[in-house]
Amino acid sequence: MKILVTVKLVPDTNADKRIDASSKRLVRTGVETVLNPFDEYAIEAALQIRDALADGSTVTIVSMTPASGKEILRKALAMGADDAVMLSDAGLEGSDLWATAYAVAHAIRTVGFDLVVTGTQSTDAISGDLPGMLAEYLGVPALTYAREVHIDGTTLRVKRETETGYQTLRAQLPALVSVTKSANEPRYPSLKGIMGAKKKEIRTLSIADLGLTKAVGGDGARTELLALATPPARERGRTVTATDAAAGAAAIVEFLHERKLL
Amino acid sequence: MKNVIAFIEHHHGTPRRSSLEAACAARAVADQLGGTAHAVVAGGGAGVAAAKLAGYPLDVIHVLDDASLDVHGVDPQVDALESVARAAGPSLVIVANTMIGRDVGSRFAARVDAGITADVTAIAVEAGRVSCTSPKLGGTTITTCAFRNTEYGVAVIRPNVFALTAGGNATTAVIAPSGKPYPVTVEADVEEAAAELGVEEASVVVSGGRGMGGPEPFGGILKELADAFGGAVGASRAAVDAGWISHAHQVGQTGKTVSPPLYIAVGISGAIQHKVGMRTSSTIIAINKDAGVPIADFADLLVVGDAFAIVPELTKLVRQAQAVHA
Repeated sequence: MKILVTVKLVPDTNADKRIDASSKRLVRTGVETVLNPFDEYAIEAALQIRDALADGSTVTIVSMTPASGKEILRKALAMGADDAVMLSDAGLEGSDLWATAYAVAHAIRTVGFDLVVTGTQSTDAISGDLPGMLAEYLGVPALTYAREVHIDGTTLRVKRETETGYQTLRAQLPALVSVTKSANEPRYPSLKGIMGAKKKEIRTLSIADLGLTKAVGGDGARTELLALATPPARERGRTVTATDAAAGAAAIVEFLHERKLL
Repeated sequence: MKNVIAFIEHHHGTPRRSSLEAACAARAVADQLGGTAHAVVAGGGAGVAAAKLAGYPLDVIHVLDDASLDVHGVDPQVDALESVARAAGPSLVIVANTMIGRDVGSRFAARVDAGITADVTAIAVEAGRVSCTSPKLGGTTITTCAFRNTEYGVAVIRPNVFALTAGGNATTAVIAPSGKPYPVTVEADVEEAAAELGVEEASVVVSGGRGMGGPEPFGGILKELADAFGGAVGASRAAVDAGWISHAHQVGQTGKTVSPPLYIAVGISGAIQHKVGMRTSSTIIAINKDAGVPIADFADLLVVGDAFAIVPELTKLVRQAQAVHA
């Protein structure tokens, strides 16, 4: 079985990020680029499925990224993925959510798949909209927010998180699943994995390889950035040292009354 | 785009509050576009949900009341929305930023090649063109994006931002079933917690962090304080990673982004990971034993003291204050 995992490269989650007002681009200076932490759960889920099947199934990483992202994709390979495909083309610059979904879906189709595994969102865009869009463009069932994934022949079963519990969903492959943080504990690359990753293949696809019928990049984008604003930073508020529980609670209640929240 | 369509998510016939906000936002935008405001509600109990929508300012409520659809997950909901949107012509679709809302909105967007904007906090119309405002990068930057090259747009709106308005006089229309096969089957639907309000929608979020020391406060003193406000319990990554509460409650960069009118952070230091998920809350109150925590720099009020003693006392005072008003 051919398992594909979509991966996004994002600025380090522990950095305070900002967008440059003149270029309207994310300031990347001094900010390390990392694998989107949510995608590590997708990689781990895919590796577990592959290893449980133990039938020659493979895990391929797919990522839309500038060429500079190549070395970061090696981390996914070091975790144990078999190979990677970069969708890398200057014509993709300026792609919005729609153009990204459209292009990535076509890259997935070009590579071929039985199962696509994604994270639930990225830490930079935080839209959570890509998995559903990919499934539609691929014409396969979307089983999102999975905390468990089971494959039985060509039947896919997941436990989907809901706000109050979970649902057990069933569909036939090919399909797409997005996995949540509860699904697993992503492994750290082993030294052997890191060494082995250097020899694994990372091939590059360009727009011309995808057979697109619609424009992508800035020309094809369905949304256009009109304005960027920086809201005033939150000011440091009041600090009250509570001598006992009653004083602490009373200080909060007084504050709630002031703000008409009580 | 001229008309505006709100997708209504409901639980056995009770529309979610965030969907009602979508309906009211649809009215406001439709008026600016000179178009009509629609709502789409499908699945078991859709008729009951439609009756509850009658108090909101819509023009047409489109209903597909069929409980047999519920075993097919969100697919029938996407079909219902698509059917109404195609009949309405170029339009803006508004869904709430919830798990179901994101699924339905994103899939609809792909079906009609629509532009889609995430986590929207304001929608404006200028010269007939719709633009959406969204906080990005944890609220440090506010972007405004207009739709282009597209007949349809999808705005995924942040709960608790768009105001509810009263109205009525909507007509009801029946949505024809799509007749398409449904690829997904729901084999089981298990409720583990009594219909709790999600942190994204709650108007008050009481979150606990590493300082809670264990799982007990999350079902105990924090829950009681959240309940007193009719709110929800949240958590920092440290608390979730320690296994004290499920990931669904996590607020922060690798969890959910919330902006309730009131956010109470208990035993949370306020590192960047947590901060970006809650800093757009209107009012932030922190309770911490350490005055030097980062959250002191952006909380409106920091109470330094023993949270285990202060929180139960606060719950008592909140209940007393509410009893006086009741």
